[in-house]
Amino acid sequence: MSQGLSRKIIEYALTFLVIVSMNFFLPRLMPGDPFTFLSTEEGSITIIYTKEQIDRYKAYYGLDQPLLRQYVTYLARLGRGDLGYSIYFNETVGRIILNRIPWTLTISIIALVLGGLGGTLLGSLSAWRRNESMDQGLYLIMIVCSEIPTFLVGVFLLFFVAARLRWFPLAGGITPFANFKTGFARFNDLAAHAFLPIMTLSVTRLADFYLLARNTIINVLTKDFMRTAQAKGLRKRRLLFRHALKNALAPVVTRAFLSLSTVFNGAILVENVFNYPGVGRLLREAVIVRDYPLIQGVFLFMTVTVLIMNLLAEVVYKQLDPRVN
Amino acid sequence: MDKRRQVVGKLKFTSRLALVILLVVILFGLGADLFAFHSPQLPSGPALEGPSRVHWLGTDDLGIDLWAQICQGARISILVGFGVAVLAGIGGGLIGMLAGYYGGCIDRLVMRTIDLMLVLPDLLLMIVLGAFFGPSISNIIIVLSLLSWAAPARIVRSRLISLKQEQRVTAAYSYGAGFWHLTRYHFLPELLPLLMVSNIKLVGKTIVAEASLSFLGLGDPTAKSWGIILNHAINFSGIYFTPYWRWWVLSPLVALTVLIAAIAVLSRDIEKIINTKI
Repeated sequence: MSQGLSRKIIEYALTFLVIVSMNFFLPRLMPGDPFTFLSTEEGSITIIYTKEQIDRYKAYYGLDQPLLRQYVTYLARLGRGDLGYSIYFNETVGRIILNRIPWTLTISIIALVLGGLGGTLLGSLSAWRRNESMDQGLYLIMIVCSEIPTFLVGVFLLFFVAARLRWFPLAGGITPFANFKTGFARFNDLAAHAFLPIMTLSVTRLADFYLLARNTIINVLTKDFMRTAQAKGLRKRRLLFRHALKNALAPVVTRAFLSLSTVFNGAILVENVFNYPGVGRLLREAVIVRDYPLIQGVFLFMTVTVLIMNLLAEVVYKQLDPRVN
Repeated sequence: MDKRRQVVGKLKFTSRLALVILLVVILFGLGADLFAFHSPQLPSGPALEGPSRVHWLGTDDLGIDLWAQICQGARISILVGFGVAVLAGIGGGLIGMLAGYYGGCIDRLVMRTIDLMLVLPDLLLMIVLGAFFGPSISNIIIVLSLLSWAAPARIVRSRLISLKQEQRVTAAYSYGAGFWHLTRYHFLPELLPLLMVSNIKLVGKTIVAEASLSFLGLGDPTAKSWGIILNHAINFSGIYFTPYWRWWVLSPLVALTVLIAAIAVLSRDIEKIINTKI
């Protein structure tokens, strides 16, 4: 077990190195000269520098050194937690991203929990009443829901719930310049702003977990121990929740960890639909103002988080399902 | 050909409807110039006009006909969706076959790469690569293919490994059949249906990915895709409180939803039919 685990960790470390190297080589593979990119705006007049000036700037950015040494310097800086400096926001990339992380993580995790619980519950009910009209209808709806892009759901909710019905604020993460008298009022405001983004993210999660839970439980229901339990005359509720659901839990819980990458994809879109101040919107802002260190920082943060969650998923799966070893 | 007819014959009513929708979208996409009487790039009437006999779906803020834009958008969705499916299908299929056939070191390397590709958030990678290399339609197709070859490769590899153990294949091998001969006569007939199923799913995923990217305003700005129309509409200030959304936002939204739902339903059904055969 521990040998398998250490091997997994080595594999993940290698994957991490690949991602970090990709992050290093991306700007260097970019067409054009990095120096021109740094010194001129697109569309404006190109300022002509002398050879000496170019050399000086290249030395300043460390671009005159051999690639291998640049790579080592980059790794060393990364090890110290230095992600670079954002020219546009005039702050270190690490700090900007840290400020945005709580927003993204909050809506992602709440959506994951809501979608996971709701989807699993609906999925088990559907599996229990398999081939009845409720199951068939739900199944068709969920297939469509699982494929519909998150931003369409977001736009839909934004139009009908926020703009037409005016139940929720249209955009942002908190009312700007508001002076909250109590902590509760502040929490209320935050919750009202987060509600629609969370709902949007949950819809796709719900469908995903529904399909998974339905499939798994239909599979479990055919097992011999289920027939035994049924023959013992156990109640339906006990049968479904104690016997079927418990045995179907391993893949569902693992999926919860694994789906973080999908949730991040969704969060990028949802945050931009609702102008929610998380990492996803930061990424779009960074791309639009061409803030390359910031883009790389966000890229690194998201991929590393996803990798860690995947490693956790494998560990958890082994704990939940002793057959895997 | 006969097999394909069998598959179509087994489809449920919903999937037949989905197939018809898909074909109609392809038709409108390919014949965008025939079905739309106005230019999708130039103004052809007053701005922000509601649906009428001249402009079937109304016009946007520049007076450009929306029906023409929707047809043009269908073309881009189809181009990106099927382009990526073909590229990633061929590439992924080939990689999966090589990995499954030769095994060993190559196989391990490929499997590790596949695991990595399946883990990474694809929209994130698309945005980052688009930011560095420019978001033209051909770049988007290339990037998406690079991101989506992993799923077909994995499916093909695992099937090929079990095929390799079948007696007719080992017999052919013992007579001196090489990789290409085995592929042509033994592997491809078995693998193609599998690839087809996984690629129909890929078409849907790809269309969503392209639409998401252009919805964020980070796609190809010159290509009038459905995502871009939505992006323009949403960014029009006060759109929520004017009647314009009824045609300007709704038409790309409905088009995208219907197409994606059709592909989803169709691929589930085809998957069921083909899976029972294996």
